[in-house]
Amino acid sequence: MKLIVEGLNKKYDDKEVLKNVNFSFESGKIYGLIGRNGAGKTTFFNCINEDVDVDSGKVYLEDEMRKRLITTNDIGYVISTPVVPEFLTGREFLKFYLDINDKNQKKSLEEYFSIVQIDKKDQDKLLRDYSHGMKNKMQLLINIISNPKVILLDEPLTSLDIVVQEEMKNLLKELKKDHIIIFSTHILEIALDLCDEIIILNNKNLEKIERENVNSKKYKDKIINMLKEEKC
Amino acid sequence: MLKTFYYSLLINTHYTFNSFLYILRKLPIFKDLITEDAYHSNFIKSIGTIFGTIIKVCKLLLFRCFYFYIIFLLSNILSDNEFSFYHIFLIFSIIGIFVHNTLLNPSLKKYLSIIIFKMDAKNYLKYNLFIVTITNFLLNIFCFYIFKLDMIVGMLLTFCQVFFRIIGEGMDIWYYRKYKKFWYTNTILYYGIIIPLFSCCLLPFFGIIINSTIITISLLIGTVLAIFSYRYINHIEDYKLIYKKINKLETILSNNNETRNSIIDVKNKDISIHDNRISKKAGYDYFNSIFFERHKSILLRSATFLSATLLVIYVFLICLCLNNENISVKVSDFLSNRLGWFVLIMYFLNRGSIVTQAMFYNCDHAMLKYNFYRESKVIVGLFKKRLLTVVKVNLLPALIIGIGNFILCSITMHNNFINSISMLLFILILSIFFSLHYLVIYYLFQPYDKDMKVKKISYSIISIATYYISFQFSKLVLTSLILSVFGLIFCLLYIVISLYLVKKIAPKTFKIN
Repeated sequence: MKLIVEGLNKKYDDKEVLKNVNFSFESGKIYGLIGRNGAGKTTFFNCINEDVDVDSGKVYLEDEMRKRLITTNDIGYVISTPVVPEFLTGREFLKFYLDINDKNQKKSLEEYFSIVQIDKKDQDKLLRDYSHGMKNKMQLLINIISNPKVILLDEPLTSLDIVVQEEMKNLLKELKKDHIIIFSTHILEIALDLCDEIIILNNKNLEKIERENVNSKKYKDKIINMLKEEKC
Repeated sequence: MLKTFYYSLLINTHYTFNSFLYILRKLPIFKDLITEDAYHSNFIKSIGTIFGTIIKVCKLLLFRCFYFYIIFLLSNILSDNEFSFYHIFLIFSIIGIFVHNTLLNPSLKKYLSIIIFKMDAKNYLKYNLFIVTITNFLLNIFCFYIFKLDMIVGMLLTFCQVFFRIIGEGMDIWYYRKYKKFWYTNTILYYGIIIPLFSCCLLPFFGIIINSTIITISLLIGTVLAIFSYRYINHIEDYKLIYKKINKLETILSNNNETRNSIIDVKNKDISIHDNRISKKAGYDYFNSIFFERHKSILLRSATFLSATLLVIYVFLICLCLNNENISVKVSDFLSNRLGWFVLIMYFLNRGSIVTQAMFYNCDHAMLKYNFYRESKVIVGLFKKRLLTVVKVNLLPALIIGIGNFILCSITMHNNFINSISMLLFILILSIFFSLHYLVIYYLFQPYDKDMKVKKISYSIISIATYYISFQFSKLVLTSLILSVFGLIFCLLYIVISLYLVKKIAPKTFKIN
């Protein structure tokens, strides 16, 4: 399965954010999308998720059978600031989501909660009182349940503590087999640690970087230098 | 002291200019003409500041004129005596002691000035008090002149209002220092003071109107108390600490202040829900039921409180009509000839806008980020469920008004059963209409941004138009029978059209701004 972006262009007023982006993402891999603050990572995701209108370009989903335009049902979008309906408890939100998305209900609520390691005592708390990390987990959980083909993660680990970061990383590694996962971040170490492919959003376009010795200083410097070259 | 004044003024000027330029650059014509370099140009800065200030002053004048206009309207309804205006103005000024204080309200400007720029908090507060006092004084004098009112009485009342404001600010500070919270968060105290005061505004209807002696006495008392209040304000030293507690960054950025919380936030006591209310429900039905169960405070309790207040007013009016022939005639005249007023009354009493605010802030704001929630069938399905609930919420106060009018009609317009019944029907139709209307415009325009600010001009225009049309009804002289038949047909048509529009348009418009 492939996610194919063809000729994507997006401007905000006079500011060109994405310019003729052509790229192909494959399932079974986690793609690390790196870019400086304001480079257009979120805009790229918003274009794929149809949250903003694109100026031109198309996004397709291709499997063995056919190539077709992507729809929002194919996408799970985990945004950096998790938004959950705060008037519901974790359990209520999950029950509601299962009611409308998982008619067969293969797993119990507890089993689902255990995937993201949310304790029993927290399950009946209002989502309003969840920590940032727990809200993030809930957001990811419901994206797992709806089983979208493409999962977009917009800087989901940036403000999480290291324990939750590790839990989330492991979860994403488990998920990648049947999904196309694109993971945006501006923290290089996270991308190098988690992702199978590194893509840089630079000069309004996507550029794949061959993975070399990821722990070497030379490799990191190479990426940083590429990011510094951003033309204004 | 002067330094604080100077820097506060400077911040205000920059704020005015930058906001003005920002809005200007959003307009299609100016977008290309004004580049970001404009922020550096001293000439454009001066012009922008002047224009920005003019717009700000015009806005203030407009609001104050509107305030005077409302008092005029109210005084004309209540009595023919010209002093009824001054009566209501004085009562409103007294109410202002309790509801219109600004010195402690959390705001971004205060956060920037005191926490970030480290200005002297006490001097900053005194600067603001000075500005509020002067602005209030000048605006009132201007309006008294424009509205061609007695300038001497106007001057006395203006001083009254200014001094009352100082008293209110002092009381606010005192209460906050003593109880570590704003006094208006105490609902019993708040309504216990505000309702009797508002009731005093109705006194001209019964021929009880204040005279110039009472105004003079009020001014004397106000002056003495304002001196004490100012001395208290001046005596306090821990303003920095108070401001730090009130103006927390997350509070300011999310605009999550106590006033808004008291309106739309889920109350802790509403968290637990009886199992039997939701156990048999699933999917969106389950979701919607929990939403309304958790927002009882906002919806049912406020509607119940409103209904109780209306009940008291109607019992009072019924007793008066039974005992006083004059009042009975006036009420009969009002119900026979000025029934259109109830369009305006129902417009004001409807809980629709608060319900949609709660829907957005506590629910849709988050849910609209999920793709499944934006599907057409989900939007229409949830709209229908919500409509039923909102209609139910608004039905109780509408029933009180309808039945109240029915009884008043029976007492004052003997043996006019058809008139009485059609009046009851008319009120119920109005209640359904406004419930539907608020929900429809919310779905079609979704005006709020994440900070609950209205961002759509089209929404504001429709809101103003709704008010204007409701107000125009107050001038109509039609029988209740014609009004209710007309209302019923209109309401049915509106339901059909709005459902169609929600189905066709809302999937495109119902989104985060």
